[in-house]
Amino acid sequence: MRLAQKLKIIIFTVQKRKNKRISLIIQEGKLKSIYPDSKINRNRESSLKWVGVLKPTPLSQEYEVKLVYKKNKGVDVYITSPKELKRFNKNNLPHVYSTKEQKLCLYYPKYREWTVEQLYTDSIIPWTSEWLMHYEIWLITGVWSGGGKHPPKNKEKEKSKKE
Amino acid sequence: MLTVEQKKQFSEIFEELSNNLDISETQHNNAVKSYQAVGNWLSQEDSILAKYKPQILTQGSFLLGTVIQPINDIDDIDIDLVCELTGKNIEWTQNDLKRIVGERLKQNATYEEMLDEEGRRCWTLEYRKESEYLKEKYHMDILPSIINEGYSMILEKAFSHTDIRNVDNLAIRITDKESDNYKSDTNTDNWLKSNPFGYGKWFFNRAEISNLKLFSLNESIKPAPKYQQKKLPLQRAVQVLKRHRDIIFNGDEDKPISIIITTLSGKAYNQEENLIDAIKNIINTMHNHIEERYDSDLNKRIKYIPNPVNEEENFADKWIEYPQREKNFYLWLDKIKTDFSDILSQSQGLQFINESMQKSFGKDITTKTFSSYGERQRVNRENGNLKVSSLTGTIGAVGTKIKNHNFYGAEEKE
Repeated sequence: MRLAQKLKIIIFTVQKRKNKRISLIIQEGKLKSIYPDSKINRNRESSLKWVGVLKPTPLSQEYEVKLVYKKNKGVDVYITSPKELKRFNKNNLPHVYSTKEQKLCLYYPKYREWTVEQLYTDSIIPWTSEWLMHYEIWLITGVWSGGGKHPPKNKEKEKSKKE
Repeated sequence: MLTVEQKKQFSEIFEELSNNLDISETQHNNAVKSYQAVGNWLSQEDSILAKYKPQILTQGSFLLGTVIQPINDIDDIDIDLVCELTGKNIEWTQNDLKRIVGERLKQNATYEEMLDEEGRRCWTLEYRKESEYLKEKYHMDILPSIINEGYSMILEKAFSHTDIRNVDNLAIRITDKESDNYKSDTNTDNWLKSNPFGYGKWFFNRAEISNLKLFSLNESIKPAPKYQQKKLPLQRAVQVLKRHRDIIFNGDEDKPISIIITTLSGKAYNQEENLIDAIKNIINTMHNHIEERYDSDLNKRIKYIPNPVNEEENFADKWIEYPQREKNFYLWLDKIKTDFSDILSQSQGLQFINESMQKSFGKDITTKTFSSYGERQRVNRENGNLKVSSLTGTIGAVGTKIKNHNFYGAEEKE
């Protein structure tokens, strides 16, 4: 009995590993059902673009967000409206790959916090809302309150961390 | 009109504001330690007061949980204290009692140095302890008073139930330099009555809401009350109103006094659980609790704000002598109504709410408020307590749980 159970688990895990990537059709369906007002373009299983409007907190403004997935290139998130986000003392935006492009860094790649096994609606999009909330607070305080990581400035630092 | 969710968020922001207005746990504990040391000094064996078992308790905003930080870091926090003596030497007049308490304080070199000029009813100690990490600056007003044998039992009993009758039993006798019998009368029955604990009891009765029943009552009358992080909406509302008053009037002597704001708030409060509802109701209806009564000495009608535990005491008695104080009260009330509705009209970005709140409560405290609000939201997410709703992706209590993650990102080169 015990053995049978173990086997079941093993089989299940193997199956799960095989099907780990969520197909873009499913991603699209889920996006449509949760954000019915958003626009989605999908090119088979090779790319997907989602444009939606998020209001990160009940008292926040609305922001237009663009999510782009390209096979083997991962997923990128941009704030497309307002075109130029206000900034605290003209500082660069916090936790972005690029202030100019308003391209957000929502997760730590090394920890595999996001993988193709996850729905955008369960991960990337909630994280974008959260980024926007902390962005509004950053505009007030000049300090990022959302936590997170900054890549080490040089390799030595990384080395010392590993040790 | 605010949606339910927006009102809830405003309430959370104002709770955070009240947390930041409150004294910190360290400040609280240090203040308690300091006044307990005074109590110990008064009751030491070699003290003439020892046999009357001197005990120091808090009164006023410290007792009510409505203390706020001063506007400027350099200003003092006021802590109102009662020094209770169980009985006295039968020959002592008010003058004797006051003098003897003062003399005992002066016997201690530290307290002698801290002692301020004698007040009408109190002795005041000015604490000035400054270190690199901590600035302790507070005024301690110590009110010498006489209680009867068994008073502490009566007090404890009164604070363990909600019955508001018999608060008269909690009255104490105090000294008053301006009373006619100050230097002559040795019978405490003829001394001025004061009822700070009766008032406290009244306030907590008003503040109570069903789901937080009696939670802070018994603690508040202990000799060393613990710091209370959780507060009732009425306590928070009073803190917010007092802060607005401080910003509008700064050091103006004719500003609306705290006891008037606190009393009218307590009367107007209607057990609202949401802080925004509470503040709205209070500022819109508090004026209804200012009475008009005929004063036979002046032969005219005067404004009257009775002490809820002593009808004969008019908290607005100074308005007769200083009419500007009455004017200022109504000016302030109008101003807070306008300012509050201006804040609530901002619903297009937290940064705009911040700008509006700054005018009412000050820049530093408002920035701190949003900073602790942000911290709290981060901790909420880390603990799996943040969700986003469908359609708008709005963070709140409903929807998809936000999975834990780490914001990443290189610090860009300029």
